[in-house]
Amino acid sequence: MYKYILEGVGNINWMAISALITFVTIFLVSAVMAFRSTPLFLNKMSNLPLEDSILKTSETAISHEEK
Amino acid sequence: MAQVETFYYDNAIVRKFAYATMLWSVVGMLVGLIAAFQLIMPELNLGIPYTTFGRIRPLHTNAAIFAFVGNGIYMGIYYSLQRLLKTRMFSNALSNIHFWGWQAIIVMAAVTLPLGITSAKEYAELEWPIDIAIALVWVVFGINMFGTIIKRRENHLYVAIWFYIATWITITVLHICNNIEIPVSATKSYNIFAGVQDALVQWWYGHNAVAFFLTTPYLGLMYYFLPKAANRPVYSYRLSIIHFWALIFIYIWAGPHHLLYSSLPDWAQSLGTVFSIMLIAPSWGGMLNGLLTLRGAWDRVRQDPVLKFMVVAITAYGMATFEGPMLSIKSVNAISHFTDWTIGHVHIGTLGWNGFLTFGILYWLIPRLFDTKLYSLKLANAHFWIGTLGIAFYAIPLYWAGWVQSLMWKEFTPDGFLKYGNFLETVTQILPMYYIRALGGTLYFAGTLVMIYNLIATIRQGSFIGDEAAEAPARIASDGVHKGEHWHRWIERRPIQLLIASAIAILIGGILEIFPMVMIESNVPKIASVKPYTPLELHGRDLYIREGCMGCHSQMVRPFRSETERYGEYSKSGEFIYDRPFLWGSKRTGPDLHREGGKYPDSWHYNHMVDPQSMSPGSIMPPYPWMLRDEMNLSTLPRKIEVLRMLGTPYPEGFEDEAVADLKKQAAGVAERLRKDGVEDDKLEKREIVALIAYLQRLGTDIKPKPQTN
Repeated sequence: MYKYILEGVGNINWMAISALITFVTIFLVSAVMAFRSTPLFLNKMSNLPLEDSILKTSETAISHEEK
Repeated sequence: MAQVETFYYDNAIVRKFAYATMLWSVVGMLVGLIAAFQLIMPELNLGIPYTTFGRIRPLHTNAAIFAFVGNGIYMGIYYSLQRLLKTRMFSNALSNIHFWGWQAIIVMAAVTLPLGITSAKEYAELEWPIDIAIALVWVVFGINMFGTIIKRRENHLYVAIWFYIATWITITVLHICNNIEIPVSATKSYNIFAGVQDALVQWWYGHNAVAFFLTTPYLGLMYYFLPKAANRPVYSYRLSIIHFWALIFIYIWAGPHHLLYSSLPDWAQSLGTVFSIMLIAPSWGGMLNGLLTLRGAWDRVRQDPVLKFMVVAITAYGMATFEGPMLSIKSVNAISHFTDWTIGHVHIGTLGWNGFLTFGILYWLIPRLFDTKLYSLKLANAHFWIGTLGIAFYAIPLYWAGWVQSLMWKEFTPDGFLKYGNFLETVTQILPMYYIRALGGTLYFAGTLVMIYNLIATIRQGSFIGDEAAEAPARIASDGVHKGEHWHRWIERRPIQLLIASAIAILIGGILEIFPMVMIESNVPKIASVKPYTPLELHGRDLYIREGCMGCHSQMVRPFRSETERYGEYSKSGEFIYDRPFLWGSKRTGPDLHREGGKYPDSWHYNHMVDPQSMSPGSIMPPYPWMLRDEMNLSTLPRKIEVLRMLGTPYPEGFEDEAVADLKKQAAGVAERLRKDGVEDDKLEKREIVALIAYLQRLGTDIKPKPQTN
């Protein structure tokens, strides 16, 4: 079986290879820098939606949960 | 320390888009419901052109995607973008032009599609004047969004904003490339691509419309509204970085999974399959990030309808993004393609992911915009359960129907003949599943109506906060390079560079798949006997497009013995070189028509079109009596020939001057055959039906030996 697979291996054209390499590169780079970010930075970014600088909270206590 | 500034978030534009989302949710779902009922009660086609299933189906898809989800996207982006960047939208005027422009486009779609003004390209049916309007409104949206990003007070761009940026740039590229067309008249145009190339560009577009209109903006909304609703940060910011880049890069390549076992070259099909399977990883990255955000807070999901909707939405996203890659495996696709399984899959995504996330956001957002509490938590919970049941009753019968019909198509008797040679048998068998699907859609729609009632009551009891006051320090413009800063943090503070980088990432996939298809001639082997359509056949083809026949009929015989036995020789790419647009279709509610030519006499088609049930008892196909009554409008025919020649179809020079005469001559021949079979009509050669018959009789005959007699 492996013989048949290896026989066809020369037919992979350069466009497919370059696409694969491009993807692998971008992915590895994103992964590497993601894991090298500091916890401080990650915490700051994760909390951005929760701090929207609105001046006053609503007068009626907004609660969308049942008591 | 920078100066603290007071400013106001614009809620008026958010309210406008929220109202539009609510309105179009009802309209879009109602049209879908009508389509579902038309399949089980063909009388609902009403015997008039404007309400046939073929014309209604694209109205439903466009309304659901662009009217409902589109306005939902804008509602969410306009709310979240301002707050994440701590600044008001760039321009009130642009916000309003965007809003009213988009609604105007929706109205134009609602008018033109039932009139049969369509390009027949799925999710890109709107004709060229509306395409231009879409581009203009989209540019307005882009200027408004990027202007806001540039004037931001928050330096760093939260992950949601990268998704919005990637959405904007990719939709721009997709819309332009799939809609490059030469106008014939104000309501008709021909695409520059034909046949196989058209198919590939269409489904590169089509799948990426799913990816970058139905997925990436909603992932952005999830990354904002889920933390807001749960009041806790997203599970892993690292994961969001990695899955963002992987998602936008890999998604682009997945388009060919719509064309497996078609006459698209093998290498393109394989790319589509491989990348679709790889796509599971970043998609599930998004899903897990969302679900794990709620770790330790699941008791709140039990109490809060907003979180309930969001959790089911994200779960449905995970389901659909697992099912999709599975459907992209050729052996699975061999069973699923052209069946209701595809429709079931689509609706897990649209009803579950898009619908439920929109509902969750609306339930969270409307009380806040109106400074009040939700009118009724009980009704919101009721909506949740009704809607969830609706999704189940929608999808499960369609999975069943897809399998049943596909297996019936493929079954052979021990003697080697097709067991269900009559296509109609396979349709009749699955009608009970269509009944249950209609029930599912009704439930889902009912839940939506409950939501509308609840939200209107909430709006009534509250008071609108048009401009919401906020305070934040001004942005320090030149931050300098932070020591040891990595490239991604650098790029997060530079939105234009992020835009360009995203553009490059998404363009690579498109270019590498499409350019070889277009440039390398050997990808589409020529067949010498394939000739351009005659003027009469061309007119008939355009009528086929007008009536939306491709919504139920495919034109792509796959290389399976069950298909070659049923339809004839499998379809070759060279046969489609003059097809503008390609009409391979995505669904077989009726049989494949690619080898229809010569199978039945002209009079069979005549009688079938006026009343399908007379020739096929039990058929659910609607009647088309107006085609026997209306005369062909030939005013644009010369221009059509001219445009097609410009695009590469080898009509001789000057042929446009003879086209009408040529058409009339061929029409007289068809009319003569019809009269011989007993059709009585003085003006028969002028009727539209004659053109359609000529087209149907041409289909698939190019590679057959020519008959001896005419």
